[in-house]
Amino acid sequence: MSGYTDKIREISQRLLKDCSVEMIIGFRKGTQPMMNEPFVVRSAEDVDQLIWDSNCGINLTNYLTNRTEKIGIIAKGCDSRNIVTHILENKIKRDQLVIIGVPCRGMIDRRRIAMLAEGEVLAVTETDDAIVVKTGTGENEYKKSDVLQQNCKVCVHRNPVIHDELVAEPVEEQQDIDRYADVRDIEARKPEEKWAFFDELLAPCIRCYACKNACPLCYCPTCFVDEAKPQWLGKSQDPMDIRTFHFLRAYHCAGRCTDCGACERACPVGINMRLLTKKLEKDCLDQYGWEAGMSLDSRPALDIYRPDDPEAFIK
Amino acid sequence: MGLVKRKAAYVEYPQAVPLKYAIDADSCIFLQKGKCGACKKLCPTDAIDFDQKETTGTIDVGAVVLSPGFTPFDPSRFDNYGYSKMPNVITSMEFERILSASGPTMGHIVRQSKDKREPKRIAFFQCIGSRDINKCDNAHCSSVCCMYAIKEAVIAKEHAGDGLDCSIFFMDMRTHGKDFERYYDTARDKHGINFVRSRVHTINPLENDDLEIRYVTEAGEAKTEVYDMIVLSVGFETSPQVIDLAHRLNIDLTAGNFCKTDTFKPVSTSREGVYVCGAFQGPKDIPQSVVDASAAAVEAGLSLSKARNTLTRVKETVPETNVNGERPRVGVFVCRCGINIAGVVDVPAVAEYAKTLPYVDYVADNLYACSQDTQDTMTDIIKEKNLNRVVVAACTPKTHEPLFQETLINAGLNKYLFEMANIRNHNSWVHKNNPDLATQKAKDLVRMAVSKVALSQSLQEAELTVNQAAMVLGGGISGMAAAKSLAGQGYETHIVEKAPVLGGQALSIYKTAKDEDVQKELAGLVAEINGNELITIHLNSELKGVEGFVGNFKSQIVSGGNESVLEHGVCVIATGGYPYQPDEYNFGKDPRIITSLDLDRKLIDQDASLKKLNSAVLIQCVGSREPDRPYCSRVCCTHSIDNALTLKKMNPDMSVYILYRDIRTYGEKELLYKEARKAGVIFIRYSTDNKPEVKLTDGRIVVRVTDHVLQLPVDIPADLVSLATAIIPNRDDTLAGFFKVPLNEDGFFVERHAKLGPSEFATDGVFLCGLAHYPKPIDESIAQGNAAASRAVTLLARKNIFTSGTVAETRPLDCSSCAVCISVCPYSAPSFTEKGPFAGKAEINPVLCKGCGLCVASCRSGAIRLKGFDNDQIFAQIFSFNEAS
Amino acid sequence: MSEWEPKIVSFLCNWCSYGAADLAGVSRMEYPPHIRVVRIPCTGRMSPKFALAALREGADAVWVSG
Repeated sequence: MSGYTDKIREISQRLLKDCSVEMIIGFRKGTQPMMNEPFVVRSAEDVDQLIWDSNCGINLTNYLTNRTEKIGIIAKGCDSRNIVTHILENKIKRDQLVIIGVPCRGMIDRRRIAMLAEGEVLAVTETDDAIVVKTGTGENEYKKSDVLQQNCKVCVHRNPVIHDELVAEPVEEQQDIDRYADVRDIEARKPEEKWAFFDELLAPCIRCYACKNACPLCYCPTCFVDEAKPQWLGKSQDPMDIRTFHFLRAYHCAGRCTDCGACERACPVGINMRLLTKKLEKDCLDQYGWEAGMSLDSRPALDIYRPDDPEAFIK
Repeated sequence: MGLVKRKAAYVEYPQAVPLKYAIDADSCIFLQKGKCGACKKLCPTDAIDFDQKETTGTIDVGAVVLSPGFTPFDPSRFDNYGYSKMPNVITSMEFERILSASGPTMGHIVRQSKDKREPKRIAFFQCIGSRDINKCDNAHCSSVCCMYAIKEAVIAKEHAGDGLDCSIFFMDMRTHGKDFERYYDTARDKHGINFVRSRVHTINPLENDDLEIRYVTEAGEAKTEVYDMIVLSVGFETSPQVIDLAHRLNIDLTAGNFCKTDTFKPVSTSREGVYVCGAFQGPKDIPQSVVDASAAAVEAGLSLSKARNTLTRVKETVPETNVNGERPRVGVFVCRCGINIAGVVDVPAVAEYAKTLPYVDYVADNLYACSQDTQDTMTDIIKEKNLNRVVVAACTPKTHEPLFQETLINAGLNKYLFEMANIRNHNSWVHKNNPDLATQKAKDLVRMAVSKVALSQSLQEAELTVNQAAMVLGGGISGMAAAKSLAGQGYETHIVEKAPVLGGQALSIYKTAKDEDVQKELAGLVAEINGNELITIHLNSELKGVEGFVGNFKSQIVSGGNESVLEHGVCVIATGGYPYQPDEYNFGKDPRIITSLDLDRKLIDQDASLKKLNSAVLIQCVGSREPDRPYCSRVCCTHSIDNALTLKKMNPDMSVYILYRDIRTYGEKELLYKEARKAGVIFIRYSTDNKPEVKLTDGRIVVRVTDHVLQLPVDIPADLVSLATAIIPNRDDTLAGFFKVPLNEDGFFVERHAKLGPSEFATDGVFLCGLAHYPKPIDESIAQGNAAASRAVTLLARKNIFTSGTVAETRPLDCSSCAVCISVCPYSAPSFTEKGPFAGKAEINPVLCKGCGLCVASCRSGAIRLKGFDNDQIFAQIFSFNEAS
Repeated sequence: MSEWEPKIVSFLCNWCSYGAADLAGVSRMEYPPHIRVVRIPCTGRMSPKFALAALREGADAVWVSG
């Protein structure tokens, strides 16, 4: 993993020095363990603060929206797919970007580690496939694959789909992954069971909107939650309004979500709202053979009108 | 149809517009016996007048169009089919009514015998009263019966499910229309309909009203089968009254009593100024009738074009009151529609309820809201009560919205300040046994309409000047016909042709089925086009790009290296087709194996060697009706038969063979088929799994084919093999992209509506004709060229067009520039603003916008609104649906 | 009237389903009086927000047809 960091610094140094970019967007170490933070490097001197490890889950595409500079950006598989979507949706131009691709080995789930560890987590270090957690009471080692983020466990696009530089050889994609076992499990339930499930799932929501703020797909000048005419939904903690918010947010991500996990990671109360977006992701794959952000040549499944649509119903 | 009894006071059919009752004089007791008159006493509006008499008037006209239609053949004169005796032998027209959801059995299929049992086995007999000179005198093919029989069988099976067995007994399956061959294939392969090639002689009644038939299979085996129901596919005839009319008008008829026309003047009768369209010109289906109708209109218009607009009166316009910013003052008019609504819904209660709704200032209930006097009253009330919004609770906006909007305009209100509550079609007519809930529903619908209309705004319609020039793409027969009609109507017309000459595929055709010399007629037409001052011909030219929209196109044309820009208001696409070049039947390996157009070339050139041939074999369906091209090329059967006859006339001793799958000489072309058989042309049918072989041995050609009667292979020595090759469209995806018009799987353009809009596109201002639409003979190509021009003239003649007010509009401040709207719009209406403060934000061209709302719903940023169906209006309807009182 | 009477909000496309509902009337087909039709210019106009709004307002079902 340290090889990644060295290579990132080396590339960034070069790009900033020869003025191919005005800034590099990457990560630096955070003040808390497992909380790396986004970092914008504008001068070559700061390059040595850039790092890479299994705590770089934040989707950096968010920082590209409507920027006008030339930018170097560090991108995992999911980030790269969101960059593709950003380019398609005119949020940034391809020629503004130097994409520094990172073949990703998965990010760790800090909540899970905090839960497994006894006492406050003081430091976390890692090797290729193990995570060592130091707490007040001692040290514990976990297999990395056991503490991966849920979305990383089922990820089949770990390598960047688009890049100008690559910090390492592509990693092997995970094979024979059942990506939608959780969605199918819910689909199979009876309506009343589903109702109860979603009731419980969304009950803790405090409408802080961290999920939508963390999401690179949310960039409208005025979000529907803030609109007053028409008022799409109330501002209250009424369960109906909470559900409306989550359902509509998910619909806005249909055909565009890359399951980067930003929403779930950002949620302060630990709601897995990815279940909603994943259902739509699955439907897009099943019905249109579509996965978001895989190519610059085609817009999202629900974004196009084609008279030669193969679906018989349209004729 | 006589399937059920009709009352003396009746509506012609349930979809009739206007939906008005009439009295059947033959069954009215008052008119027959002078007693009763109950309807007159009961009619609340005093609409019944028994004293009305037939009157004769005189109208001065410059042209006459005849469209008297056909009469279905009456099979009761065939004693062997027992139509009048056996209740379960019915005609296809009767079966059509039985299948209809609004028919006597609501679309449920039951036998006409007393048992009213659902049939399990239905047989269709084709060619009843068609292609028959044995039991009747109708030698012609009725053109449409094969297709309608398949359609009826498919609908019957779809309705009844797998338990129903349908068999169609036919001679030749004639599915020569656009997409018909595919329908035939699907009916056979997917729906499991049996097709039996046999003409059944007799139907024998059994005791339980079942029907026994005997027939001989293709293999020569006699079979007996029992059916529950037999449908006779009756053909077309011209009625004696129409024949009499033709005599009185002094116009010529054909041998089969259809109106006589020339190939190059397909809608002109023998009498100048009298035109014809529809089945009187010859048996034909709906699309062809619609094509003819448009063609006849434009032809009739030619002699009248100078008189255009001389008898029109300018309507007085009432100045529009500005109601912006005013508090809504809604007037609600609840219609009783006689008893149509009031018989079920408690109209006074609905009216009372409407008075309680917010912003409602005035409520009335009317006997008939649509009657002229109510309209006048409504205009007065709007002015008098100073109403600024109107709701009419009555029937459907689809038929009546324009009428009421006109009333608003007359009262000085913007026509979009209006809403209808559909309390008839969606309520009283469908809930007649539930008056309480129907009344409740009517209140809900009125409340929803009021809440929507309160939020409506005055909308403006953009006015658009129509450039008075036309561009015709393609200088073949149909393109020239279109250009000639357009110029004849007084419009500047440009023909853009790729080739160095005009004429297209017609340049390769020898003569028509009516024995007219194509080259002579074509030369005449080209000369006329050349001599017409209004027509500019661009030869060696191609289209490089198109900008603009209906009324204002700018087309970039490259002519021999020079680029120019043509401005025009409409475009006719007549890009034609070309003959398939076969790789089968040893084509290209011997100069004696040629295509049918090569044979025409030899005939045009008066090739002397043709006379010396001992034997000629003509093979049909080369490249047509094959998996690669699953369509029929429509013209080849007639063309080959005509060529066979020409060869026979040249040398009666020549052996001429036609190897075919189904002979498709539709209409009166059937007479040519008969003539060919009489002249000794030998017809041998083959099937796709046992195709003929053309062998070349020692310099001799031998064609081996399995004879369908002998069921044995026969070897035919041939001096000439002519292959009737498929017609392939000049598929042009770029052109389709320029005008945003669709192509089908075979590369033909897709018209606005397969039946009702055959010569125009869904895209405004773009029209279609000729082989680019579907293979067709010269007369149909010309008619469609005329028709495309006719449709185009309806637009050009308006000079100015108004777009709809219900179009989408962006709010640039909310736009996130994601381009979803640009991507999803089927009409290319949205684009990014290029300059100004909102550069990079989406805007919508109201001229191109069709108001579908796709962009509105797909805009995540909520930056687009659809005027007339705005979010707040739809929400108002949703929010008010459940406020039950 | 003691039986449960559902309320169904129907969003019907002006060009097909709305016309079909008209034709159902013309053909005097009977169906239960529980739908409330909102005419939309095309089902393309339909937004998931409308469906959710109708359900929030107490609709027992939402029917989109076009």
